[in-house]
Amino acid sequence: MNHTRTEQSSSTVTHQQKSIDTGDSWQRLAPISILYFTASNIKQFAQFLIYVIPALAISSNIFEMHRLSYAIAAGVGLISVMSISGLISYFFYFFRIHNRHVEVKCGVISRRHINLPFWRIQNLKIEQPFYYRPLNFALVVFDTAGSSEEEAKIVAVPLIYAQTLRKQVLADTSVSKAPSVGSPEHASFDREADEVVLNRRSIKDLIIHGITNNRVWILLGAAAPFYDRASTHVYNWLESKGLSLNHIIGEQTAAWWQLGLYTLTALIIIMALLALLSVGGALLSFYGYTLSRDKDRYIRRSGLLNKQEVSMKRSRIQMITAKQDWLDKALGRVNLYFEQNTSGTPQQPELMSPNKLLIPSITIDEVQPLINGAMPGSKIYNPNYKSVSKRFLSYWLGIWILPPVFLLSGIAVYFQQWHELVVILIVAMVLNTLMVLRWWRWGYTDDERYVYVRSGRVGLDYQCFEKYKVQQVTVVQSIFMKRKCVATLKILLASGSITIPFLPQAEAWKLANALIYAAESSRKSWM
Amino acid sequence: MKIDDFSNEPVVLSQLPDAREVETHPLSPRYRIVNLATVVVVFLLISIGISIVYFQPWFPLPEPVRAVYPIALGIVGFISGCSFVYHWLADPRIRYAVRQQDLILHKGLIFRKVTCQPILRVQHIELKRGPLDRFAGLAKIQVFSAGGSAHTFEIPGLPIERAAQLRQFILDHKELDAR
Repeated sequence: MNHTRTEQSSSTVTHQQKSIDTGDSWQRLAPISILYFTASNIKQFAQFLIYVIPALAISSNIFEMHRLSYAIAAGVGLISVMSISGLISYFFYFFRIHNRHVEVKCGVISRRHINLPFWRIQNLKIEQPFYYRPLNFALVVFDTAGSSEEEAKIVAVPLIYAQTLRKQVLADTSVSKAPSVGSPEHASFDREADEVVLNRRSIKDLIIHGITNNRVWILLGAAAPFYDRASTHVYNWLESKGLSLNHIIGEQTAAWWQLGLYTLTALIIIMALLALLSVGGALLSFYGYTLSRDKDRYIRRSGLLNKQEVSMKRSRIQMITAKQDWLDKALGRVNLYFEQNTSGTPQQPELMSPNKLLIPSITIDEVQPLINGAMPGSKIYNPNYKSVSKRFLSYWLGIWILPPVFLLSGIAVYFQQWHELVVILIVAMVLNTLMVLRWWRWGYTDDERYVYVRSGRVGLDYQCFEKYKVQQVTVVQSIFMKRKCVATLKILLASGSITIPFLPQAEAWKLANALIYAAESSRKSWM
Repeated sequence: MKIDDFSNEPVVLSQLPDAREVETHPLSPRYRIVNLATVVVVFLLISIGISIVYFQPWFPLPEPVRAVYPIALGIVGFISGCSFVYHWLADPRIRYAVRQQDLILHKGLIFRKVTCQPILRVQHIELKRGPLDRFAGLAKIQVFSAGGSAHTFEIPGLPIERAAQLRQFILDHKELDAR
C-alpha cells in the first residue's frame, strides 16, 4: 500500500508533493474503511426507515402479516445486505491524488467520478470517528465553493497522510496565486513546529457554554415557582368563561391541582435533563478545544469521542461575529465565529459546520486579540457606533405594533373585558421594549478597511468584515422612507447578508459606494 | 499579509463614483405586456374552470360548494386585479444600468430597491428563457455571486440580443475569475 510512503518526513516541496501524490494508479482505501462504510450505510438506511415505517405499518396491517415467513426472510436478507454493504462499498471505492487533483471513484449502483483540483478546494476537514482512533486513521472531507454535489471524501487514510495532504492543499492556493511571496513550501513538515496555540477551552468554559446555549430551558426553569400561581390564574380565568378544567379532566383520580403539580415536576426534571444534555453535548464536541494558527491558517481541534480538525485559511474568513446572548452577557462570555463562504454547501449544524469556526464562550478580554489576529487593526468594540434613525422605531411601532394594539384594546374596552385589556397592554409593552432595545442596539461604523455592525435586543452581537469582500450591495427605500430621507442598506457577503436598517440616506449611499468601490478597485481575491 | 499588490492611498469619499448617478435603461416593453397577458389568461382559465364545474349538468353539487362559487370567483378576481395593477405600475419601474465594473438594477413599487453587483464578484452567468419569454423574444439574465442563491442578481425582460450582449460583456470582463 502506498501510504507508508507518506509517513517519512521531508522538507522540500517536491518531496511533499511526491509524498501525497499517489501516482497514476488508483488506490484502494485502508480496510478499516469497511467499518466506516457499514456505519454510514446503516445510518442512511435508518434515516430512510423513518419515512418508510408508517407506510410499512399500514401495509402490514392490511396484509395482517399473512406471510410472516417472507417477512422474516426479508429481515434476515436485509441484515446480511447491511453487513456486506460496507464491504461492497469498500471494493467500489478508489481514489488517487495526482497532479494536484483529488480524484474519487465511488458508488455501487450510481457511480460517481469526482475530480477536484486543489485550487478549488476551499476547506479541508479531518475527522476521526472513535473507531479510527486506535489505529490513527482519519477521514478527509473536501469542501468546494461550488455545489454540494462536488463534495468529496477520502474515507480512510493514515492521520499523518491526511495532515500532509491538508497542508499541501491549503498551501496550493497561495502558491499558485502569489508565486513571488513567502513560501509555504518551506513550511516544516512537522505539524507542531509552526503552530501557535491561540486559545484553549477548559472544561469549566465548556460547561458554561453548554448552559448558556440552552437558555430557553433555563428561563423556564427559573420561572418555575410562578407556574403554580400562573396556572391558578389561568384556571380561574377559564372557569369564569364557563370552561372548567375539572369537568374536562373529570374527578377521576386526582384533583386538577395535583395533576398540575405532577406535570410541573416532570417539566422541571425534563428541563434539568436537557440542560445536562446541553452541557454533555458541549463537552462531547468541544472537549480539549484548541484553536491554533499556523502561518495563515487557523486550525480547530476538538472532540471527546470523534475528534475533529477543521482548518480555515485566514484569507477565506469573510466575517467575524461576536455573539453575546443575555446569559452570556451576565456571565461576561462571548461566542466568536469566523465565518467563511457558505454558498453551495448544505446547511450544517452550527457546532460542526466547517464554514463557521466557533470559539466557544471566551471572555471579553480574549475577543480583541483573536479578532486582530484575523483582521489586523480592526476595532470591534470601538465607541463610535452610529445608531440607526429613530424612523426605524416609528416604522415598526407606528405600523406594525401600535395600530393592532389600539384596535384590540378598543375592542376589549368596548366589551369591558378588563383582564384581556391588561394582557394586551402587557404584551404591547414587552413588544415595545424589545423594539426600542433593538433600535438602541443597532449601530454601525466603518474605518478605512472594515465595516462594523452592532445589533441585538437584550444580547449584543458584533459583526465585522473587510470592505473589499462584499459580493453585492442593495439600498432599499420605501416611498415613505424617501420622504424622511432614510434608507436600508443590505450588504451581501459570501458568508451571508447583513442589514443596516434606516440609516440616513446620504450615509447609506456613501457606505454603499465605498463598499462597491473597495470591491471593484481591489484586485485581491475574496476567497 | 501579502504586501506586493497592496497600496493604501487615502480615498476621497466625495469623489467615489456614485451608483445613483448612472443613467438607467428600461426593460423591453414586451415584458410588461407578457406579464399582464399572463395574469389575464390565468384569471380566465381559473374562472372558466370553476364556472364549468358550477354550471355543468352531469352531477349535482352539494349546496355548500355551490354557495362558495361567487366567493371563489371574487377571490380569484381580486388577486388577479391586484396582480394586474402591480405589474401595470411596477414593471416599467424595473430599470438597469451597466457600468464598466458593475451592474445596477432598480426595482420595486413601494419598496424601491437599488442593487449593485460588482462584475468582479460574479461566479457564473445564466441566460434563461421560459416558453413565454421565447414566444415574446425575451430573455432574463441571472448573475450568481457567492452568498446564497436567494440573492441572485436577475435582470428580467431583456430583448434576446441585448441579453446575449450583456452576457458577453460580463464574460469578457478581464478580471473575471482567472482560474
